[in-house]
Amino acid sequence: MPDPKVDLTYVAKNVGPTSRKTCGTCHFSGGGGDAVKHADMSADLYWPSQTCDVHMGGYDFSCVECHQTRNHKISGRSTSAPVAEGSRACEDCHTAKPHYGDTLLDHHLNKHCATVACNTCHSPVYSKCAPTKTWWDWSTAGNKKREVKKDKYGKVDYDWKKGDFLWKESAKPEYAWYNGFTKRLLLGDPIDPEAKGFGPGEDLTYEQKRQLVQTRITEPVGSMRDPHSRITPFKIMSGIQPADAQHRYLLIPHLYPYDKEDTTAYWKHADWQKAFTEGMQKAGLPYSGEYMWVATTMYWRIEHEVMPRENALSCVHCHESLKGEQGCDRCHQDSRGSKFRQLAEQGTDFQLLQMMGRDVGDLIGSTDYIDFKKLGYKGDPIIHGGRFKKLPLGFGTANK
Amino acid sequence: MRTNVIRVLATAVLMAVLGASAALAATPPPAGDAKPVEKSRKDLTPMPEGWTALRQEEAIKQAHKQYPFVEDVLMEDLPLRQQRLRNMGIGYKDIKQSYILLDSPYVDTYEKQYDPVRFMHSKHAASLDGDCAACHHYRPADPNAPETVSCRSCHQDTRTDANTERIGLKAAYHMQCMNCHEQMKKGPVNCVGCHTKRSVDHKELVRLPENPKPQEVTAECLRCHQEAGDDMLATAHWLWRGPSPYTTEHRKSVMSGKGTTTLNNF
Repeated sequence: MPDPKVDLTYVAKNVGPTSRKTCGTCHFSGGGGDAVKHADMSADLYWPSQTCDVHMGGYDFSCVECHQTRNHKISGRSTSAPVAEGSRACEDCHTAKPHYGDTLLDHHLNKHCATVACNTCHSPVYSKCAPTKTWWDWSTAGNKKREVKKDKYGKVDYDWKKGDFLWKESAKPEYAWYNGFTKRLLLGDPIDPEAKGFGPGEDLTYEQKRQLVQTRITEPVGSMRDPHSRITPFKIMSGIQPADAQHRYLLIPHLYPYDKEDTTAYWKHADWQKAFTEGMQKAGLPYSGEYMWVATTMYWRIEHEVMPRENALSCVHCHESLKGEQGCDRCHQDSRGSKFRQLAEQGTDFQLLQMMGRDVGDLIGSTDYIDFKKLGYKGDPIIHGGRFKKLPLGFGTANK
Repeated sequence: MRTNVIRVLATAVLMAVLGASAALAATPPPAGDAKPVEKSRKDLTPMPEGWTALRQEEAIKQAHKQYPFVEDVLMEDLPLRQQRLRNMGIGYKDIKQSYILLDSPYVDTYEKQYDPVRFMHSKHAASLDGDCAACHHYRPADPNAPETVSCRSCHQDTRTDANTERIGLKAAYHMQCMNCHEQMKKGPVNCVGCHTKRSVDHKELVRLPENPKPQEVTAECLRCHQEAGDDMLATAHWLWRGPSPYTTEHRKSVMSGKGTTTLNNF
């Protein structure tokens, strides 16, 4: 029921088009707080600057201008939740060749669009407006006496109801090949067969927990060899959560008390056994009575906080081979008339972002931003060749 | 963790609704029992002072700029004009505004059913391979005028324009956009394909008693919008489940979602 303080008649008489508030009230604070879950969405998007998100901040877009609806079904899909009632992509408006000029730069950038998702360059960091949760360790929950500290962003590191957290602001995404499909671990699916849990009494350090084999709850489908896959940015959410030690599937605790008489909710009684027994009964799955803590991870596709072209990644952020070049003659006939450095080196200015108070110190001066080797390349494709065309360009590794 | 909380909450809400309707059917509670709650109209996320969407602001300003009416145009057959502009090297680089809001006092004079169109100028130029003449089909007769001028330099208001032969701006926009989209079999030709529909003022339409119950408000909405209500009940936002066409091994499922089997690690 709505808060009794809401003046419903006033609301009804003033019904109007939906806005960023309509959707943001829930979606900006998924996971129980501002920007907790969705790395690329926060309360900043109610009234963003144009460098926070060019569509919403620069052009005052409401959510449904992209996520168009049909019979109240809202288009768009996410990696985090499986339901999709229609798809939405940048290309729907911007076409597959979204750099609309006829300059050399437009030509090169448009060629990149077959291999690189728009957000890779245009959302070079995520959670640049508000920090997001990147680590959540449920195994440490329950200590009501533990002192809660605040991190450098002013975010709490612990909550007895929830466990330990880590937060990150202005983070560099993880890049992976993605063709739009997602592999998903569902309720009752077995966790990774290699995964080893640790028991309720065992005390592991943070580093030990990070070393555990992770079960992937969501994972992008794609490969370097698939022309439909593109290099796509993700937030990785990792953590420790409970699994049934015998059935080896993830457990669902009953957290939030039903009412004042509730006898099982974890957030009231801090008793995992009661919470698992009740939660799994509600979920309709057997609970063996024995639980363990396991490491899990999720890929969250970055779609929002889109930077205008002036702040997108530049060529040299990824292509180290172009650093220090004076012209285009590595590949083309010598033409000193072109403003090469301006073309290839303008873009996201991490130094400026840091001056504006963003936590990007580690990204200043970075090259090989998307990590070509991790994506399956031998190295910078300018030197080693692309994924389908194996023609290396220009004069090899030696820098001019 | 799976959001069991949500399901429990949803059940609680449902039970509250059922309970409330049962209470409605039964005798009303004795008066003076419930404390009246002070109503609040406070906007919890108000627009900060001085906030503007800079690019949109600029486009709005630009859209309302008045231009002197071009009475005489140079009659030039389109294929020849296209060649001439190509040979003059007029193209992408001459685009001054890559984004234009198709809005003007001429368009909104007689009815205001739809919001103005967000027009991606550069994108259209690119999809026409830089053929500016495709839309900029004539030029002013004045040799000193630029080769391409804005639509509303020549198309304004048919009721007041000196040149009564010429169509007004609203007709010009619609003919240019829709005819081209139809010919190219590309781009929207229906109203809401380009426009957002403006909402109707509901102040006089909504009839509610003093201090209504939430269910009474819903019923009042449904008095006119029954279909929207039915639609809503079939959505993933209501059901917390739905089709999962992009989840491998579950592409045919219509029961996926946080209300059923979705997991996460929050």
